[in-house]
Amino acid sequence: MKPYSYVRAQDVGGAVAALAEAPDAAFLAGGTNLVDLMKLEVMTPNVLVDVRRLTSDSIEELSDGGVRIGAAVPNSDLAADRTIRSRYPMLSQALLAGASGQLRNLATTGGNLLQRTRCVYFYDTTTPCNKREPGSGCSAIEGHN
Amino acid sequence: MEQEITIKVDGAEHRLALDTRTTLLDALRERLGITSPKKGCDHGQCGACTVLLDGRRANSCLALAVAHDGAEIVTAEGFAGDGYLHQMQQAFIEHDAFQCGYCTPGQIVSAVGMLEVAKAGWPSHVTEDLDTEDVSLDDEEIRERMSGNLCRCAAYANIVPAIKEVSGR
Repeated sequence: MKPYSYVRAQDVGGAVAALAEAPDAAFLAGGTNLVDLMKLEVMTPNVLVDVRRLTSDSIEELSDGGVRIGAAVPNSDLAADRTIRSRYPMLSQALLAGASGQLRNLATTGGNLLQRTRCVYFYDTTTPCNKREPGSGCSAIEGHN
Repeated sequence: MEQEITIKVDGAEHRLALDTRTTLLDALRERLGITSPKKGCDHGQCGACTVLLDGRRANSCLALAVAHDGAEIVTAEGFAGDGYLHQMQQAFIEHDAFQCGYCTPGQIVSAVGMLEVAKAGWPSHVTEDLDTEDVSLDDEEIRERMSGNLCRCAAYANIVPAIKEVSGR
Protein backbone atom coordinates (compact mmCIF):
# COMPACT_ATOMS: atom_id res chain seq x y z
CA MET A 1 0.00 0.00 0.00
CA LYS A 2 1.28 3.49 -0.81
CA PRO A 3 1.84 5.76 2.23
CA TYR A 4 -0.91 8.26 3.02
CA SER A 5 -1.90 10.56 5.82
CA TYR A 6 -5.14 10.01 7.70
CA VAL A 7 -7.44 12.86 8.69
CA ARG A 8 -10.67 12.58 10.64
CA ALA A 9 -12.83 15.46 9.46
CA GLN A 10 -14.66 17.33 12.23
CA ASP A 11 -17.46 18.69 10.04
CA VAL A 12 -18.74 18.56 6.46
CA GLY A 13 -16.99 21.81 5.53
CA GLY A 14 -13.70 20.49 6.88
CA ALA A 15 -14.08 17.24 4.95
CA VAL A 16 -14.75 19.03 1.67
CA ALA A 17 -11.89 21.46 2.32
CA ALA A 18 -9.48 18.59 3.05
CA LEU A 19 -10.37 17.00 -0.27
CA ALA A 20 -10.10 20.31 -2.13
CA GLU A 21 -6.61 20.89 -0.71
CA ALA A 22 -5.36 17.46 -1.73
CA PRO A 23 -6.61 16.45 -5.17
CA ASP A 24 -5.45 12.86 -4.67
CA ALA A 25 -7.31 12.50 -1.36
CA ALA A 26 -10.21 10.08 -0.90
CA PHE A 27 -13.13 9.89 1.53
CA LEU A 28 -13.11 6.86 3.83
CA ALA A 29 -16.16 5.35 5.53
CA GLY A 30 -16.37 1.58 6.11
CA GLY A 31 -13.39 0.97 3.86
CA THR A 32 -14.51 -2.46 2.63
CA ASN A 33 -13.98 -1.50 -1.01
CA LEU A 34 -11.45 1.35 -0.74
CA VAL A 35 -8.98 -0.44 1.57
CA ASP A 36 -9.07 -3.50 -0.66
CA LEU A 37 -8.36 -1.33 -3.72
CA MET A 38 -5.55 0.44 -1.87
CA LYS A 39 -3.92 -2.89 -0.98
CA LEU A 40 -3.89 -3.73 -4.68
CA GLU A 41 -2.69 -0.18 -5.49
CA VAL A 42 -5.62 0.26 -7.86
CA MET A 43 -6.33 3.34 -5.77
CA THR A 44 -3.44 5.33 -4.30
CA PRO A 45 -4.81 8.31 -2.35
CA ASN A 46 -2.19 10.41 -0.53
CA VAL A 47 -4.70 11.54 2.09
CA LEU A 48 -7.63 9.61 3.58
CA VAL A 49 -10.40 11.84 4.90
CA ASP A 50 -12.47 9.75 7.33
CA VAL A 51 -16.14 10.77 7.19
CA ARG A 52 -17.68 7.69 8.82
CA ARG A 53 -18.52 9.42 12.12
CA LEU A 54 -19.41 12.65 10.38
CA THR A 55 -22.39 11.79 8.22
CA SER A 56 -25.83 10.72 9.43
CA ASP A 57 -26.36 7.14 10.57
CA SER A 58 -30.12 7.41 10.90
CA ILE A 59 -33.06 6.30 8.79
CA GLU A 60 -35.85 8.89 8.82
CA GLU A 61 -39.41 8.61 7.57
CA LEU A 62 -40.33 11.83 5.80
CA SER A 63 -43.71 13.57 5.78
CA ASP A 64 -43.98 13.17 2.00
CA GLY A 65 -43.99 9.39 2.37
CA GLY A 66 -40.34 8.85 1.52
CA VAL A 67 -37.45 7.67 3.63
CA ARG A 68 -34.10 9.41 4.09
CA ILE A 69 -31.19 7.06 4.63
CA GLY A 70 -28.04 8.54 6.19
CA ALA A 71 -24.79 7.96 4.30
CA ALA A 72 -23.19 6.32 7.35
CA VAL A 73 -25.98 3.77 7.95
CA PRO A 74 -24.27 0.37 7.84
CA ASN A 75 -25.59 -2.09 5.25
CA SER A 76 -26.58 -4.48 8.03
CA ASP A 77 -28.74 -1.91 9.86
CA LEU A 78 -30.38 -0.81 6.64
CA ALA A 79 -31.28 -4.37 5.64
CA ALA A 80 -32.70 -5.10 9.12
CA ASP A 81 -34.63 -1.85 9.51
CA ARG A 82 -38.34 -2.54 10.02
CA THR A 83 -39.50 0.23 7.68
CA ILE A 84 -37.14 -0.84 4.92
CA ARG A 85 -38.10 -4.51 5.36
CA SER A 86 -41.81 -3.86 5.04
CA ARG A 87 -41.89 -0.97 2.56
CA TYR A 88 -38.75 -1.52 0.48
CA PRO A 89 -38.17 -5.30 0.70
CA MET A 90 -36.15 -5.32 -2.52
CA LEU A 91 -33.58 -3.04 -0.88
CA SER A 92 -33.31 -5.36 2.14
CA GLN A 93 -33.02 -8.39 -0.10
CA ALA A 94 -30.37 -6.78 -2.30
CA LEU A 95 -28.25 -5.85 0.74
CA LEU A 96 -28.62 -9.31 2.28
CA ALA A 97 -27.61 -10.93 -0.99
CA GLY A 98 -24.77 -8.51 -1.63
CA ALA A 99 -22.15 -9.37 0.96
CA SER A 100 -21.36 -11.43 4.07
CA GLY A 101 -22.54 -10.43 7.53
CA GLN A 102 -19.04 -9.21 8.44
CA LEU A 103 -18.84 -6.96 5.40
CA ARG A 104 -22.36 -5.61 5.85
CA ASN A 105 -21.47 -4.54 9.38
CA LEU A 106 -18.57 -2.41 8.12
CA ALA A 107 -19.93 -1.20 4.78
CA THR A 108 -22.00 2.00 4.71
CA THR A 109 -24.81 3.19 2.46
CA GLY A 110 -22.76 6.07 1.05
CA GLY A 111 -19.77 3.85 0.42
CA ASN A 112 -22.00 1.27 -1.23
CA LEU A 113 -23.11 3.84 -3.80
CA LEU A 114 -19.47 4.76 -4.41
CA GLN A 115 -18.33 1.16 -4.76
CA ARG A 116 -16.15 0.64 -7.81
CA THR A 117 -16.80 -1.96 -10.48
CA ARG A 118 -16.14 -5.58 -9.53
CA CYS A 119 -14.62 -6.27 -12.97
CA VAL A 120 -11.57 -8.49 -12.50
CA TYR A 121 -9.50 -6.41 -14.94
CA PHE A 122 -10.14 -3.23 -12.96
CA TYR A 123 -8.57 -5.01 -9.96
CA ASP A 124 -5.65 -6.41 -11.96
CA THR A 125 -3.13 -3.60 -12.49
CA THR A 126 -1.14 -5.71 -14.97
CA THR A 127 -3.98 -5.58 -17.53
CA PRO A 128 -5.40 -2.63 -19.50
CA CYS A 129 -8.60 -1.09 -18.11
CA ASN A 130 -10.22 2.09 -19.38
CA LYS A 131 -11.89 2.69 -16.04
CA ARG A 132 -8.63 2.50 -14.11
CA GLU A 133 -6.48 4.12 -16.76
CA PRO A 134 -8.53 5.96 -19.40
CA GLY A 135 -7.39 5.18 -22.94
CA SER A 136 -5.52 1.97 -22.02
CA GLY A 137 -8.23 -0.29 -23.46
CA CYS A 138 -10.79 -2.75 -22.09
CA SER A 139 -9.58 -6.27 -21.32
CA ALA A 140 -13.12 -7.52 -20.71
CA ILE A 141 -14.16 -7.17 -24.37
CA GLU A 142 -12.05 -10.13 -25.41
CA GLY A 143 -11.56 -11.62 -21.93
CA HIS A 144 -13.85 -12.81 -19.12
CA ASN A 145 -16.99 -10.74 -19.23
CA MET B 1 3.17 8.26 8.53
CA GLU B 2 2.38 7.33 12.12
CA GLN B 3 -0.59 8.01 14.29
CA GLU B 4 -1.49 7.08 17.87
CA ILE B 5 -4.60 5.13 18.77
CA THR B 6 -6.07 3.47 21.83
CA ILE B 7 -7.96 0.21 21.45
CA LYS B 8 -9.41 -2.20 23.96
CA VAL B 9 -8.77 -5.83 23.08
CA ASP B 10 -10.31 -8.67 25.09
CA GLY B 11 -10.72 -6.31 28.02
CA ALA B 12 -7.21 -4.81 28.03
CA GLU B 13 -6.47 -1.29 26.84
CA HIS B 14 -3.55 -0.67 24.49
CA ARG B 15 -2.00 2.57 23.27
CA LEU B 16 -0.19 2.15 19.95
CA ALA B 17 1.69 4.36 17.50
CA LEU B 18 0.98 2.87 14.10
CA ASP B 19 1.72 3.41 10.44
CA THR B 20 -1.58 4.71 9.03
CA ARG B 21 -1.65 1.74 6.64
CA THR B 22 -1.88 -0.82 9.45
CA THR B 23 -5.07 -2.85 9.46
CA LEU B 24 -6.70 -3.87 12.70
CA LEU B 25 -5.68 -7.44 11.90
CA ASP B 26 -1.99 -6.52 11.60
CA ALA B 27 -2.16 -4.36 14.72
CA LEU B 28 -3.58 -7.30 16.68
CA ARG B 29 -1.21 -9.92 15.31
CA GLU B 30 2.04 -8.07 14.72
CA ARG B 31 1.93 -5.41 17.42
CA LEU B 32 -0.05 -7.01 20.23
CA GLY B 33 0.78 -10.67 19.61
CA ILE B 34 -2.90 -11.62 19.58
CA THR B 35 -2.81 -14.28 16.90
CA SER B 36 -6.24 -15.90 17.06
CA PRO B 37 -7.55 -13.64 14.25
CA LYS B 38 -5.91 -15.20 11.19
CA LYS B 39 -4.75 -13.72 7.92
CA GLY B 40 -6.36 -15.79 5.19
CA CYS B 41 -7.16 -13.87 2.01
CA ASP B 42 -6.51 -10.38 3.46
CA HIS B 43 -9.31 -9.10 1.18
CA GLY B 44 -12.43 -9.63 3.29
CA GLN B 45 -13.54 -12.77 1.55
CA CYS B 46 -12.59 -15.67 3.83
CA GLY B 47 -13.57 -14.48 7.32
CA ALA B 48 -10.50 -15.95 9.10
CA CYS B 49 -9.75 -12.48 10.54
CA THR B 50 -13.24 -11.99 12.03
CA VAL B 51 -13.39 -10.13 15.36
CA LEU B 52 -16.19 -8.43 17.25
CA LEU B 53 -15.65 -4.74 16.58
CA ASP B 54 -17.73 -2.68 19.01
CA GLY B 55 -19.93 -5.74 19.46
CA ARG B 56 -20.37 -6.68 15.81
CA ARG B 57 -18.54 -9.22 13.71
CA ALA B 58 -16.26 -7.58 11.17
CA ASN B 59 -13.34 -8.43 8.88
CA SER B 60 -10.35 -6.96 10.72
CA CYS B 61 -8.25 -7.19 7.52
CA LEU B 62 -10.31 -4.43 5.88
CA ALA B 63 -10.58 -2.17 8.92
CA LEU B 64 -7.82 0.42 9.16
CA ALA B 65 -6.62 0.63 12.75
CA VAL B 66 -6.43 4.45 12.74
CA ALA B 67 -10.09 4.61 11.74
CA HIS B 68 -11.08 2.63 14.84
CA ASP B 69 -9.39 4.66 17.56
CA GLY B 70 -11.29 3.98 20.79
CA ALA B 71 -12.84 0.75 19.54
CA GLU B 72 -13.55 -2.26 21.68
CA ILE B 73 -12.46 -5.52 20.10
CA VAL B 74 -13.16 -9.08 21.16
CA THR B 75 -11.27 -11.99 19.61
CA ALA B 76 -11.86 -15.72 20.00
CA GLU B 77 -9.24 -15.65 22.78
CA GLY B 78 -11.33 -13.15 24.69
CA PHE B 79 -14.29 -15.52 24.88
CA ALA B 80 -12.42 -17.97 27.09
CA GLY B 81 -11.58 -17.36 30.72
CA ASP B 82 -9.32 -18.98 33.26
CA GLY B 83 -10.27 -22.64 33.11
CA TYR B 84 -13.42 -22.32 31.05
CA LEU B 85 -14.44 -22.02 27.42
CA HIS B 86 -17.26 -20.12 25.74
CA GLN B 87 -20.16 -22.42 24.92
CA MET B 88 -19.47 -21.93 21.21
CA GLN B 89 -15.85 -23.02 21.65
CA GLN B 90 -17.03 -26.05 23.65
CA ALA B 91 -19.59 -26.94 20.97
CA PHE B 92 -16.92 -26.77 18.24
CA ILE B 93 -14.81 -29.25 20.22
CA GLU B 94 -17.71 -31.57 20.97
CA HIS B 95 -18.84 -31.61 17.34
CA ASP B 96 -15.29 -31.88 15.95
CA ALA B 97 -16.10 -28.77 13.90
CA PHE B 98 -12.63 -28.29 12.43
CA GLN B 99 -9.72 -30.07 10.87
CA CYS B 100 -6.67 -27.82 10.50
CA GLY B 101 -8.20 -25.15 12.72
CA TYR B 102 -6.99 -22.10 10.80
CA CYS B 103 -10.47 -20.73 10.15
CA THR B 104 -11.81 -21.79 13.56
CA PRO B 105 -11.29 -18.60 15.63
CA GLY B 106 -12.98 -16.59 12.87
CA GLN B 107 -15.79 -19.13 12.63
CA ILE B 108 -16.37 -19.00 16.39
CA VAL B 109 -16.40 -15.19 16.62
CA SER B 110 -18.62 -14.99 13.56
CA ALA B 111 -21.04 -17.56 14.98
CA VAL B 112 -21.33 -15.66 18.26
CA GLY B 113 -21.95 -12.36 16.40
CA MET B 114 -24.40 -14.07 14.08
CA LEU B 115 -26.50 -15.55 16.91
CA GLU B 116 -26.85 -12.10 18.49
CA VAL B 117 -28.47 -10.58 15.40
CA ALA B 118 -30.55 -13.68 14.68
CA LYS B 119 -31.93 -13.36 18.21
CA ALA B 120 -32.77 -9.74 17.46
CA GLY B 121 -34.85 -10.96 14.50
CA TRP B 122 -32.56 -9.79 11.72
CA PRO B 123 -33.37 -11.58 8.47
CA SER B 124 -30.90 -13.23 6.09
CA HIS B 125 -30.91 -13.75 2.34
CA VAL B 126 -32.79 -17.05 2.80
CA THR B 127 -35.37 -15.81 5.33
CA GLU B 128 -38.70 -16.28 3.59
CA ASP B 129 -40.71 -13.72 5.52
CA LEU B 130 -38.69 -10.50 5.75
CA ASP B 131 -41.17 -9.11 8.29
CA THR B 132 -40.62 -11.97 10.72
CA GLU B 133 -40.06 -11.23 14.42
CA ASP B 134 -38.65 -14.67 15.17
CA VAL B 135 -35.88 -16.17 13.12
CA SER B 136 -35.66 -19.92 13.30
CA LEU B 137 -32.13 -21.07 12.58
CA ASP B 138 -32.37 -24.19 10.47
CA ASP B 139 -29.33 -25.53 8.58
CA GLU B 140 -30.00 -23.36 5.54
CA GLU B 141 -30.19 -20.20 7.67
CA ILE B 142 -26.97 -21.05 9.52
CA ARG B 143 -25.13 -21.80 6.27
CA GLU B 144 -26.25 -18.51 4.69
CA ARG B 145 -25.48 -16.43 7.80
CA MET B 146 -22.03 -18.04 8.09
CA SER B 147 -21.25 -17.67 4.38
CA GLY B 148 -18.57 -15.06 5.16
CA ASN B 149 -16.42 -17.74 6.80
CA LEU B 150 -14.73 -20.22 4.49
CA CYS B 151 -13.27 -23.52 5.62
CA ARG B 152 -10.81 -25.06 3.18
CA CYS B 153 -11.03 -28.38 5.04
CA ALA B 154 -14.79 -28.25 4.44
CA ALA B 155 -15.68 -28.97 8.06
CA TYR B 156 -19.05 -27.34 7.42
CA ALA B 157 -20.85 -30.63 8.08
CA ASN B 158 -19.79 -30.34 11.72
CA ILE B 159 -19.68 -26.54 12.02
CA VAL B 160 -23.40 -26.23 11.28
CA PRO B 161 -24.50 -28.72 13.99
CA ALA B 162 -22.15 -27.06 16.52
CA ILE B 163 -23.71 -23.65 15.92
CA LYS B 164 -27.18 -25.15 15.82
CA GLU B 165 -26.69 -26.69 19.24
CA VAL B 166 -25.69 -23.36 20.80
CA SER B 167 -28.49 -21.52 19.00
CA GLY B 168 -31.04 -23.84 20.61
CA ARG B 169 -29.95 -22.97 24.16
